Amino acid sequence: MLTKIRHNASHLALPIALITLSLIFTLAEPAFLSPDNLNGILRQVALTGIMAIFMTFVIMTGGIDLSIGPVMALAGLAAYFAIFGAGLPIGIAVFLGILTGAAVGAINGLAIVSLRIPPIIMTLGMLSIVRGFALLMGGPDLHQIRDEPAYTFLGNGLVMGWPVSVWVFLLLTVMMTWTQKRTSFGLLVSSIGDNARAVHLSGRSTGKTVCLVYILSGVGAAIAGILLSSQVHTASATYGEFGTELDVIAAVVLGGANLMGGKGSVFRTFLGVLLLGVINNGLNIMNVPVDQQLMFKGAIIIVALSLSEWAQRTRKV
Amino acid sequence: MSAAPLIETIDVSKQFGDFVALKSANISVVAGRVLGFVGSNGAGKSTLIRVITGAHSPSSGELKVRGQRIENADPALMRRLGVACIYQHSSLVPALSAIDNIFLGRQIRNRLRLIDHRAQRRRLEEVMTQFGIVIDPHEFIENLSPVAQKEVEILKALVANADVILMDEPTAWLSLIEVKALQDTIRKLTSAGKGVVYISHVLDEVFEICDDITILRDGTMVWTGPTEDIDRPQLVNRMVGNVLDSTVRVAPKAQGHSRSTAKAYLSVSKLTRKDSFKDVTFDVYAGEILSFAGLIGSGRTEVAKVLFGDDKPTSGQIMKQGSEVTLKSPREAIAHGICLLPEDRHAEGLCLEHTTLENTVIPSLDVLTKHSILSQSAMADLCRRQIHNLNILPPDPDKVVGRMSGGNQQKVLLGKWIEKQPQLLILDEPTVGVDVGAKAEIYTTIRNLRDAGAAVIVISSDIEEIMTLSDRILVFKNGEIADEFDGSKIDNDTLISAIGG
Repeated sequence: MLTKIRHNASHLALPIALITLSLIFTLAEPAFLSPDNLNGILRQVALTGIMAIFMTFVIMTGGIDLSIGPVMALAGLAAYFAIFGAGLPIGIAVFLGILTGAAVGAINGLAIVSLRIPPIIMTLGMLSIVRGFALLMGGPDLHQIRDEPAYTFLGNGLVMGWPVSVWVFLLLTVMMTWTQKRTSFGLLVSSIGDNARAVHLSGRSTGKTVCLVYILSGVGAAIAGILLSSQVHTASATYGEFGTELDVIAAVVLGGANLMGGKGSVFRTFLGVLLLGVINNGLNIMNVPVDQQLMFKGAIIIVALSLSEWAQRTRKV
Repeated sequence: MSAAPLIETIDVSKQFGDFVALKSANISVVAGRVLGFVGSNGAGKSTLIRVITGAHSPSSGELKVRGQRIENADPALMRRLGVACIYQHSSLVPALSAIDNIFLGRQIRNRLRLIDHRAQRRRLEEVMTQFGIVIDPHEFIENLSPVAQKEVEILKALVANADVILMDEPTAWLSLIEVKALQDTIRKLTSAGKGVVYISHVLDEVFEICDDITILRDGTMVWTGPTEDIDRPQLVNRMVGNVLDSTVRVAPKAQGHSRSTAKAYLSVSKLTRKDSFKDVTFDVYAGEILSFAGLIGSGRTEVAKVLFGDDKPTSGQIMKQGSEVTLKSPREAIAHGICLLPEDRHAEGLCLEHTTLENTVIPSLDVLTKHSILSQSAMADLCRRQIHNLNILPPDPDKVVGRMSGGNQQKVLLGKWIEKQPQLLILDEPTVGVDVGAKAEIYTTIRNLRDAGAAVIVISSDIEEIMTLSDRILVFKNGEIADEFDGSKIDNDTLISAIGG
């Protein structure tokens, strides 16, 4: 019996944890299950979720991207300056914002692939460099974004009752789940994390795939950054503060991806993101003070990860 | 001989659910003798070892140590009772010195609870003199040769007062000369009254070193007795049943290849890589199996890496069908029709967390995708074709490769290259750690490839393998080709003396 539970634990742990926690929160506070609240959870997790989807690929290759926080800020500023500095149309401004994220990701990827700098060191360096560059561009001030209804719509508009950011999150989840399962890129990402040398000796170019993974991560952070600047009507060099990347990584790891690389799943990351959202929201709704919330959240992450570690350990024997 | 055996199992069985892994095994490990376990992968050798080391508790039957029945054995208890196990893969810490590894977990401490290096040194020297094993205690493990590392593991067991030493495939990564050295060490152990259990797929070694042999098949002991009571064909016959009786030892001899009429597929001239090999010149023809014989470190693997574009030569020339090629990466080599089955399937060959299907399709992704989108049906076809072709067990495309036996892992690796229809397939140690049944199947596959017109290079440290497969043999020594033989006209002893002499 125990072995059976262990065997299936890695697949079922997340859904079970989600349902159990939701039940507990509902019993404690029935308002938890109200459509408004569930809607709120999705809205709260959308930005973290968008970044977590792409971080899943990075982590599956055995890498990590710590530079996503400042990329959010940079992308917001780039869009702001494109609109108010250069007077470009919204579409092009958004495109330029995303391009800055792709550029940062490309620098990360190229350095990691061709100079063989360990990902944690490269992106830790870029965390600081990009923040500095954003401050150089935008200074310490908040730049207000006013009278641009189309831009404001991105962060605050509703489509069929749901915010645009939630739609973007769901759409990207579906697209990237498909990419993971149905494209050679998806297969190569997990194979590289499992045994990059074997993939290289099979005649595949691992460098291209790894580079692309960091570019995508930069793009994800830029999309999140643009949505954020639109939600709060401002662009600032200080957005995406320290800790943003840790929430994203926590969601990916809760989704079962191995930090050493290898197997992982966009869909399970999606569930991991929801789990984090439910924990945050449930504790909020029960009026748990912030200090205790943080401690609770940490404890739940540790318990959840130990359980999945336990499940995986026994399956190897 | 009147004393009770060091270890005895009486009707020991082990069941996992409905699966019987071991059926009433009766073995006894006697002081001063080497007991060999032979059997295909999955025959129950590992289960039996795990019972003896206390990792598995038997479902029924008794385990006795020096005549005493042991209840509820666990690994710690069995270690205290003097049972030590040396596994195929090293369990040493590479960054520590030999002596630190030997005393790891059981350091001798002084009154201040600090490690007493002097006492440790004294104890180690005592053991080294007693058994005549000499190593440099302060050398780091990563700088020691594979055989010296095995000796460190043996010393570790001896320092812990082990009386029974189990060795599971200890020679899998050793060269011919190192195997001899290890066997000398084992003899020193037995003459000092230790009992040894020796497990190997290499039958030559089993006949060389073991006093008694136990043959396992499908969890059952099919034969046990002194080595002199059985000969090789009988042993193989009992191991694999009657299916393969003629395939392994009396394999069909290679026919001499008519090279005079054919054109060389690949001509290598004066190929040199600094500090690895120099002036290597040879031709390999379509439709022949060319073997590289030699010791580990003689340059064979290094030449293969250059031919596969994984290393760059310092100088020299590679001509493919008359025109010069430069191979800058494995990708380019594969595009030229050259494929390499690497020596270490875990480190270089397979993605162990991935399935049979995922592993077999990776080199063929170009033909399996359209605009990067995978064709699920083409992938499934490819995988099914290779499972069927190579008899991969279990025949499940979604089986995770890391949980398959060594022989089947090797077949998956072979399958992924066959699918590329290589014009030159290089196989580096194709049957290390592979059971006899799978070995015969792999040989058949290699021959079929040759007969279909591919050029095949086999690198092997297993003399029997070279004798069985080769149309032509190149002997490597110290990074140079020292000799060339016709596979049909050479005998064991000539080849062995050419390699070692």
